[in-house]
Amino acid sequence: MDVIRLSRLVKDYSLGKIKVRALCGLDLSITKGEFVAIMGPSGSGKSTLMHIIGCLDRPTEGEYYLDEQLVSAVPKSELAQIRNKKIGFVFQSFNLLPHLNIQKNVELPLMYSGDSLRKRTQRAIEILASVGLSDRLKHKPSELSGGQRQRVAIARAIVNNPSILLADEPTGNLDSQSGGDILEIFNRLHKDGNTVIMVTHDPAVAARADRIIRIMDGAIVDGNIAG
Amino acid sequence: MAISLAESVHIGFSDIWTRKVRSIVTIFGIILGVMSIMVVLAIINGMNQSTMAWMMERGGLSRIDVQRNWGYDFSKGGKAEFDLKEINFIRSQIPEAAAFNPKVGAGEMELTQRGKSYNADLSGVMPDMTLVDEWQPEKGRFIKHIDIEQNNNVVVLGSTAARELFGSRDPIGKEVGVRIETQSYTSTGEFESTLSTHQLTVIGVMSEKFMEGNGGFGGNPLEYRNRQAFVPISTMINKLSPALKITELEIKAKDTETAPALRRKVEELVLNLKQGKRLFMVASATEQMQQMKQSSMIFSSIFVMIAVISLLVGGIVIMNIMLASIKERTREIGVRLAIGARRRDIFVQFLVQTVMITSLGGVLGIVSGYAILDLVAGFLDIKVAASMQMIWVALMVSVGVGLIFGVFPAVRAGNLDPVLALREE
Ligand SMILES: Nc1ncnc2c1ncn2[C@@H]1O[C@H](COP(=O)(O)OP(=O)(O)OP(=O)(O)O)[C@@H](O)[C@H]1O
Ligand SMILES: [Mg+2]
Repeated sequence: MDVIRLSRLVKDYSLGKIKVRALCGLDLSITKGEFVAIMGPSGSGKSTLMHIIGCLDRPTEGEYYLDEQLVSAVPKSELAQIRNKKIGFVFQSFNLLPHLNIQKNVELPLMYSGDSLRKRTQRAIEILASVGLSDRLKHKPSELSGGQRQRVAIARAIVNNPSILLADEPTGNLDSQSGGDILEIFNRLHKDGNTVIMVTHDPAVAARADRIIRIMDGAIVDGNIAG
Repeated sequence: MAISLAESVHIGFSDIWTRKVRSIVTIFGIILGVMSIMVVLAIINGMNQSTMAWMMERGGLSRIDVQRNWGYDFSKGGKAEFDLKEINFIRSQIPEAAAFNPKVGAGEMELTQRGKSYNADLSGVMPDMTLVDEWQPEKGRFIKHIDIEQNNNVVVLGSTAARELFGSRDPIGKEVGVRIETQSYTSTGEFESTLSTHQLTVIGVMSEKFMEGNGGFGGNPLEYRNRQAFVPISTMINKLSPALKITELEIKAKDTETAPALRRKVEELVLNLKQGKRLFMVASATEQMQQMKQSSMIFSSIFVMIAVISLLVGGIVIMNIMLASIKERTREIGVRLAIGARRRDIFVQFLVQTVMITSLGGVLGIVSGYAILDLVAGFLDIKVAASMQMIWVALMVSVGVGLIFGVFPAVRAGNLDPVLALREE
């Protein structure tokens, strides 16, 4: 079953009078439980694609089905709910809230889905244990190393059991040691049955994926057929 | 599935707590605005209350006073005085009046008793004085009509006057002397002043007048009444001080409602008696009270306006700081949106935060307002009256300021584009 299906996806950015076409008629299907790596030169449209898949942005043209739901037709106001329930996003720059301790950071998606404080706390502690941070619950992000911060971000991304886990260069800001640790976690999540889509510049990282998709100038040039 | 208000308040608390100094600076204008509203209203309220108490002490709101018009240009002729014929005429024209007391003031006169002497404020009055002033003798009796008819040599003393002259002894039935100075020209044309002592029998002692000190007087502002002494108006004019004339008239209407009409009638009567010359001023307590209320309304609305302006300025300051704060927290907003916050959640988060800040300002304003009122009341010895209602008004106003000036920044925050917000450094 396809968890993601994109057809003739177009994304235009308008800079004043100039129109920039970041994605030009892109087709892509991703099966449930797949681990997909996306590669391509800088400016080729990888992040743009991730934003659309992550429902942070909407395509200018084309159709996007997520779990058989046509989300490209869903009004902007309802995308928040889809982001909350179905999508876990891991960024290159961690994007934790600096004033909250890591437990509260991980609880945040559960707060927006309206879970009780007890359930939130329990779930956050459980998830943080699974990424090996049980002894850091009350620490602020600034008190953690980069690798630890990225583990908190992964915990936050999976706390709501999303349908897909998106990661845009998750190891880009890390040394190779902690980058390796992070990839290990993604591997494990994939083995547990999660769908993982990861943007990377590192061929060694990409080699671990089921499939490598190469993008150039907003179009897929290789890897569109599931491996 | 929006996050609950409690959740927003919780976020608000931690946001305010992590930015303590900024929050305090932000709400300074609100604190000042609310504080000044509190202080001004409480002082005005207190002033009104003590004026009211004062008027009640003077015999209530149905009282009407006829007094020399100090604004009249006396070079135009006429004298601001009544003779007994005029007084009787006025009385006969206003049968509806509940009490009527013409008054002759002799000023400070020396009273003597067995070698002791005391300067009392001596007036000639009529029996109705007890009704007009709502003031009764504590011992003995007051002046009666028969005393007026017979020019009786009797006197009623104020409590202080009685104590000074008689100590703890009972003054009723005892004699006091009044030193009178008669001035005349001798047959050779020389000016001559003779002092004589006139004996009066004490028939009563008035009850002691007392009121909480206020208005900077300290002590008992009604003490001057206890220093008074009263004789029949006829005795005063015919025996003690023939040069004195009736210059004051105290009238009491049946009730507050009829007082203004009676005042107009008396004014008309007096004006006709004096050939249209405005020698006298006729004032009713209830109308004075209304005027006072009106002027204190004007006074307080001016100050409330100043306070409102400072609240508006405070509100604009808060709006700007919130806008800056939202700009600074753009990335945080992006993150919240990315993990599932809805636009409405972000809007509510920042609106609630602004309202919490201004409400905190309101509470601090009320507290510091109370502290200042305490100081003011202590230093100036005036009465202040802060009411529960004022506290509610102050709170509502500060919440209102937060709502009004919080909406724009909150809309800004809620409308941020998630992708652009996440890219913000
Ligand atoms: N908000 C925007 N407004 C205008 N143009 C944009 C915007 N976002 C992206 N673009 C343009 O779209 C194209 C694709 O950008 P995108 O960020 O997707 O590239 P990328 O593949 O992620 O690059 P990198 O590897 O450097 O992260 C680029 O030409 C970029 O300049
Ligand atoms: Mg990118």
